[in-house]
Amino acid sequence: MATEAANGGALLEVEGVVKRFGGIRAVDGAGFDVAAGSITALIGPNGAGKTTLFNAITGFQRVDRGSACFAGEEILRLPAYAIARRGMVRTFQITRALAAMPVIDNMTLAATDQPGERFRNLFFRPGAVRSREREVHAQAMELLEVFNLGDLAADYAGTLSGGQRKLLELARALMTRPRLLLLDEPMAGINPTLGRRLLDHMQRLRREQGMTFLFVEHDMEVVMNHSDRVIVMAEGKVIAAGEPHQVREDPAVIDAYLGGPA
Amino acid sequence: MTSLPLAVSFEAFTNLGFWSGVLVTAGIYAVVALGLQLNVGYTGIINFGQAGFMAVGGYSMAILVLEAGLSFWLALPAAVLITMAFGVLIGLPSLRLRADYFAIVTLAMAEVVRLTAQNARGLTGGNKGLYCEFEGVNQTCFDDSWRSVSEWMLGVVENFWSDPEPLLPLLLVIWATVAIGAIGLGYVQKTPWGRVLRAVREDEDAARALGKNTLLYKLQSLAISAVLGAFAGFFLALFLATIHPDDYEPIVTFFAFGVLILGGLASYRGVAIGAILLWTLLEGTRFVELPISEEKTAALRFAIVGAVLIGLMAFRPQGLFGKREEMVLGD
Repeated sequence: MATEAANGGALLEVEGVVKRFGGIRAVDGAGFDVAAGSITALIGPNGAGKTTLFNAITGFQRVDRGSACFAGEEILRLPAYAIARRGMVRTFQITRALAAMPVIDNMTLAATDQPGERFRNLFFRPGAVRSREREVHAQAMELLEVFNLGDLAADYAGTLSGGQRKLLELARALMTRPRLLLLDEPMAGINPTLGRRLLDHMQRLRREQGMTFLFVEHDMEVVMNHSDRVIVMAEGKVIAAGEPHQVREDPAVIDAYLGGPA
Repeated sequence: MTSLPLAVSFEAFTNLGFWSGVLVTAGIYAVVALGLQLNVGYTGIINFGQAGFMAVGGYSMAILVLEAGLSFWLALPAAVLITMAFGVLIGLPSLRLRADYFAIVTLAMAEVVRLTAQNARGLTGGNKGLYCEFEGVNQTCFDDSWRSVSEWMLGVVENFWSDPEPLLPLLLVIWATVAIGAIGLGYVQKTPWGRVLRAVREDEDAARALGKNTLLYKLQSLAISAVLGAFAGFFLALFLATIHPDDYEPIVTFFAFGVLILGGLASYRGVAIGAILLWTLLEGTRFVELPISEEKTAALRFAIVGAVLIGLMAFRPQGLFGKREEMVLGD
């Protein structure tokens, strides 16, 4: 399903990324492309280096070597916030709901182009701040409704269930209107009904807004049915990449998962 | 006197001088604690260096007046800018550290400032402190300009109060500053800027992942707090009519933290009321008469205040005005 989407060139090109922790090479020369408008899955056994690679390309972890081009620009040495501002936004494996802030503030926080985030504008452009705030609030409520969180807007995020927090984090990331959304195990810890909603929403965003997704996932059914391309990592390297059905039959992948002879 | 344990003379509490002293001190600590509230309560950065910022502000002002011959009214904004720049300078390398390491750096910074003031005698007068400069028969003091304003204000008050309290003008200026500071900070806290600060407090990585330059916000928070520290430094210098290294010991910062804990985290109103309560308690316990020596009574005062703070932590950890949800909710 949905294999035709990889139409444009690569939105993200990662090459030869190396990240060592002491003597261990957590990421050992990994490279891959993410095509614009695609839904790409990143899979691999535990300890393959998926999350480290995620952290590296989003600026949360300094790398030892390698490059990553996002929309034609080298981003690997940029600070995390600058990468996010360029339109490549991530979520975390362990949810990072801002617990002691209301749900709605979690959402409005993420909006871009809010002049009120600059201190001086609070005093010199209060009108612009207020009008942008109204727009942002409306967008936030709309998105919360999509994720069934509308009724909880005024509650502290810390009172939400694990699954609701996961949805909130996704909705919050969408508030930034990203070009590429990186999701670290979006399905982990949420019930299948919510998971389906989330997947449907991903498909719709890709279809309607041309948004691109890269996600780490362990649920093979989700990976096989909902992604256009699958990248397989093992021991810090990319060992296979291709369409789901190709990857599934790749002997290297089967070895990595079943622990056959290397 | 010695026969009655725990006798309290209530005379002091009807004494205007007692209350004006308490309110001036409480006001100065409220200004300090407003900055701490912004840092600790709303940004999640633990600043143990407020006494250092007070010293930088106070000394800069006095040195500019006495040594550089600047007018008091120009020295004030100049000292504010110097303190702010100093805050940014300290924050730039250290705010990248984890919260607890940052706290240590700020504490050390404040001590470096104090010890420098103690030893750079040529500039700061060392342990003699700073007050007036003599040139022949002419005497210039750093607070000359303030005292003429103060006298003018007292003259106005005398129209309807024959014998006004001499501290009244300073008291009014300090509490006007507290009010403006609390209202101003309360306003910016409700804006998108304040929202980013709270996000930094909650989870800095999450804020960075959403494109917020968290270092910049932490620097701004520290700079504003340093400015409030500078103001508190001015007020303390005007109140004591001298600037002495001993007045900027770390205990000053910790009393301000006492104010913060009493008033409650994430509440600016709490800071003002917490400051009044803490200083009423600290000064009021002076008048508790016990059958023990005076030094022991003095030490006991701090024990009593400590016990009150511990009791508060146990039974009302959010302080008097803090929001409980913002303290107990976590991932």
